[in-house]
Amino acid sequence: MRYERQLLMPQIGQSGQKKLEQSTVTVIGAGGLGSPVLTYLTSAGVGTIRIIDCDIVSESNLNRQFLHNSDDVGKLKVLSAKEKLSKLNPNVNLITISEKLDTDNVEGIVTGSDVVVDCVDNITTRIIAAHACMKLNIPLVEGGVCGFYGYVIDIGKDFPCLSCLGYDKAQPKTPVPVLGVTAGAIGCMQANECIKLLLGIGEPLYGRLMNYDGLSGTWEEVHVEIADSCPVHSSIK
Amino acid sequence: MIEVRLFATFREGRDKVSFLDSRDFKSAGDIIDHLKIQRNEVAILLINGRYLAADAPVNDGDILALFPPVGGG
Repeated sequence: MRYERQLLMPQIGQSGQKKLEQSTVTVIGAGGLGSPVLTYLTSAGVGTIRIIDCDIVSESNLNRQFLHNSDDVGKLKVLSAKEKLSKLNPNVNLITISEKLDTDNVEGIVTGSDVVVDCVDNITTRIIAAHACMKLNIPLVEGGVCGFYGYVIDIGKDFPCLSCLGYDKAQPKTPVPVLGVTAGAIGCMQANECIKLLLGIGEPLYGRLMNYDGLSGTWEEVHVEIADSCPVHSSIK
Repeated sequence: MIEVRLFATFREGRDKVSFLDSRDFKSAGDIIDHLKIQRNEVAILLINGRYLAADAPVNDGDILALFPPVGGG
């Protein structure tokens, strides 16, 4: 039986599995972070997963984006991802949206989600996604990577967001260096947060910036607070 | 003392955690300069968990956390 091992978990069981099957998750980005997030949410039996990505697969994606392979170069990422995920678990309703997320379409795309998982590669889209989720009161699992390092944090309207940290003003160097393993570690953590939020279990990473250091092999938590000057929190009051 | 915690690439060639004498620094920016980090490379600056600008004053017992951009996906 497909879900036998997780049904044995007291935190999941039959009722939790039913909750997962009745849930809708939107995953923004089907790349390095999106690959582990989509894989584990699909295998866990989340009922409906919306996959948003407007890019096509390129060879330089393949060091980390394991949902795609050499035969997929040139294909839309959402279609390549759906092809693999539907074989992994045909019970999951996979909805593909090949659009670039912007301020005009974001609310229509995320509305109806129980949780949104942000797996994008740029700060502008992160801020757009966070603003919409906070306005619509949808929990957002946020993650980012650079080289051997990464972070995960859960965002909600009553908790700190990236703008609270001043992160919306950051100017990352592009292209961002990424080891596939780092994206895997952060993506797995994001999938775990998503499942916790869907089931209402455990201690979500709200107000807790969880930092991964692959070189020292450590996870370190930094407590963060809502900033008085946060433009996103100010705009949803 | 001020506890300074560095994250991600800021750790390369520097201590992950250091304790500095608060009498030697007036602002977070002074500490960033002392660590030979370019101020425009700091994406997140937190003093006791709260985002503040580089000119924010620092006091004995504060915990300063500095992050570069880590925005890949």
